[in-house]
Amino acid sequence: MGLKTSFSGVSLPPQKVSNPAIEDAPLPKRVVLPLGQNGNRVCKPVVEVGEQVKTGQLIGQSDDFLVAPVHSSISGTITAIRPWFDLSGNEMLSVIVESDGNDSWLEEIRADEGFSDKEAAQLLTDLKAAGVVEIGPPSMPLHAKFATPEPSKEARFLVGIPQTKPVDTVIINGIDAEPGMAAKGAVLTKYSSEIADGIRILQKLIGSAQIVLAVNSNGSVSSPLSGELAGLSVQVFRGKDKYPLGLNPILIKCVTGREIPLPDGNEQDIGVAVVDAATLVHLVEAVRDLKPQVEKVVSISGAGITAVKNFRVRLGTLVQDLIEQQTGLKGEPVKVIAGGAMTGVALLSTDIPVSKETDALIFQTATEAKSFSPDACINCGLCVRHCPSRLLPNELSKYCEFSMFEEARARFLLHCIECGICAYVCPEKRPMLHLMRYGKRELSLA
Amino acid sequence: MEKAISLDKPMLRVSVAPHIQQKITTSHLMYNTLIALVPALLAGIYFFGFASLKLALICMATAVACEAGMKGVMGRKLTIINGSSLVLGLLFALICSPEVPWWTAVVGTAMAVILGSEIYGGLGNNPFNAVLVGWAVARISFTEQMTTWIMPEPLFGLEAGGYIEYPPLDVIRVDGVETLVDLPWLDLFIGNVPGTIGTVCVAAVLIGGIYLLARRIITWHIPVSFLASAWLFGLIFWLIDPEVYANPTIYLLSGWMVLGAFFLATDKGTVPVTAPGMIIFGIGCGLITMIIRYWGGFVDGVAFAILLMNALTPLLDRVRPRVYGRVKQVA
Ligand code: SF4
Ligand code: SF4
Repeated sequence: MGLKTSFSGVSLPPQKVSNPAIEDAPLPKRVVLPLGQNGNRVCKPVVEVGEQVKTGQLIGQSDDFLVAPVHSSISGTITAIRPWFDLSGNEMLSVIVESDGNDSWLEEIRADEGFSDKEAAQLLTDLKAAGVVEIGPPSMPLHAKFATPEPSKEARFLVGIPQTKPVDTVIINGIDAEPGMAAKGAVLTKYSSEIADGIRILQKLIGSAQIVLAVNSNGSVSSPLSGELAGLSVQVFRGKDKYPLGLNPILIKCVTGREIPLPDGNEQDIGVAVVDAATLVHLVEAVRDLKPQVEKVVSISGAGITAVKNFRVRLGTLVQDLIEQQTGLKGEPVKVIAGGAMTGVALLSTDIPVSKETDALIFQTATEAKSFSPDACINCGLCVRHCPSRLLPNELSKYCEFSMFEEARARFLLHCIECGICAYVCPEKRPMLHLMRYGKRELSLA
Repeated sequence: MEKAISLDKPMLRVSVAPHIQQKITTSHLMYNTLIALVPALLAGIYFFGFASLKLALICMATAVACEAGMKGVMGRKLTIINGSSLVLGLLFALICSPEVPWWTAVVGTAMAVILGSEIYGGLGNNPFNAVLVGWAVARISFTEQMTTWIMPEPLFGLEAGGYIEYPPLDVIRVDGVETLVDLPWLDLFIGNVPGTIGTVCVAAVLIGGIYLLARRIITWHIPVSFLASAWLFGLIFWLIDPEVYANPTIYLLSGWMVLGAFFLATDKGTVPVTAPGMIIFGIGCGLITMIIRYWGGFVDGVAFAILLMNALTPLLDRVRPRVYGRVKQVA
């Protein structure tokens, strides 16, 4: 299956990935588990300070459809429930668990009860209970993506999910979009049987929908995976090596030819659901083994680690603890980025925990860390040439810089997909993406 | 409430995405343009002697000095290092006759920097091509000095091409098309004719232009549409009446056509940035150039064609493809 459309964009420098594909990170001594994913939607804790918990035990829950439950990722004692900084630097109520070193799991887990005789509704319930989160953006509980027609319409209306079209295409995103990310390719190789099971489960969940597996152009489907895929009705989409193919809006366009209606729409409006390949493995574990999401495959690179390494990390592990295990690190990292090099968030401190939204960590030393300059735009047009949304970032950035937000809106600022290419190519090193986000935020507050 | 994180540890640097940047900087763009102009300058030295080099150095020094002065007067950050003034100065020299007196060149370059660029805020903010603004001032104020020509005298190797005594376009204007019938096209292509320092040798200019394309400093849109539209327009008239209108290829190989298409009409900031805008811009430049060459008051139309199209640039930037996600809202 090939591209249904072409897009601008850039070729980013290629990256090396180290072997073995995925290692297990050592068990952390302490985890900090944030009780929510994005911003203000937070679970209520269902445990108390001093309580003993096992790995996989429920510690936070919410009635809100868009909040995934939270489970303990190690066994031990709850030492505190208090605010902690999350990825974006906001405070979020978090549960802190001190490990007892045994990692003893709840008995029900690893039941391997299979999924072949489960109905779609049961699958969804299991999925919701396991707290699996699709990384996005926007990140949201995976079950919300598949809550198609059946369960009451008003319920979805009330929780604010505009389900205007049933899902007819599911795209499994196996493309490592940005430098620093390698988890998806590794997952596709290492968990090939889970990926195949995941496709079977998706077929049960959404009936007749078409399933497309999108892979890197170079990361051809490994032989175990292609063996597993034989006989399944799944189409393989091979992308080209160009950023931002792996970002959902562009991927959807290239696979289906459809565009997400902006500024307010989302993928559900056009009947598409995108599932991250790594999330798909959690989905399988959730319904097959009743195992909640307590881990995340995180790619680590930078500061001397030239070949990206993938680790299976327990949720809530502090970045500091991960740094301490890294023997390949050269020099003190001055910047730590959660996410890819193009769209990731620079962390405020190394005391921030790995969460369900962290799929990569990049360490940068003083020489690697870039900065932006306050210089004026020279109208060279490089950003225009590369913008995948076909905007004029030069003009938009000037409107935002001089607080002309309504003019920026009229020139389609809200159609920017925040890929960061304009800032990557700008010869004057203007903070383009920042200006776009700033303008969008001002407009949303207006 | 307890503080989430103690602040006594050394803090990390926090910045907005992206966390990597392409290596290309403004200086990279400018110095590559400078490199691309070297063959044209060398050709100028070869055909017209070291006076060409002297003129180029004078213009470049003037441009740098004027930029520094203006930046100082206006209290702005000095950006000499990015090389844009060097490019401006060199381009100005290349579109002058080797006979231009030094003071004319100095005045022209100074006008280019001050009136053409700095009073608008410098590089990228000027609406009109600064080099051409300076040239227009000089050409109109010092017509005689700017239009005195000398015969090419190759430093070594080639015989001096003594077939015509003024630049080919002047010959067509003054003596008619038939005078050029026997002019060897090779002389025209390698520059063995009278003319301005950097434009006579089309071969050298082309090498520079191809270098710019290969290094992706410019895109093909403007040069290709400029040259193609001029040639096709010329072809039509040549087919109608070859007695009056010369072969379109002669027009392409003479005057500033190629230098204009690759270097002047691709000047950053004064030309459109969208692909359709650039193509319309190029076509406009090509047609206006030919119209001026056929019927206008100036012999070579490139400068005024580009200046005219510069004025349309803000309008042409409105011609753009549909943006992502702009669909009728589902009701
Ligand atoms: S304007 Fe937005 S979509 Fe376009 S390149 Fe910049 S960040 Fe990407
Ligand atoms: S890349 Fe930078 S300098 Fe060039 S037009 Fe865009 S914003 Fe301006």
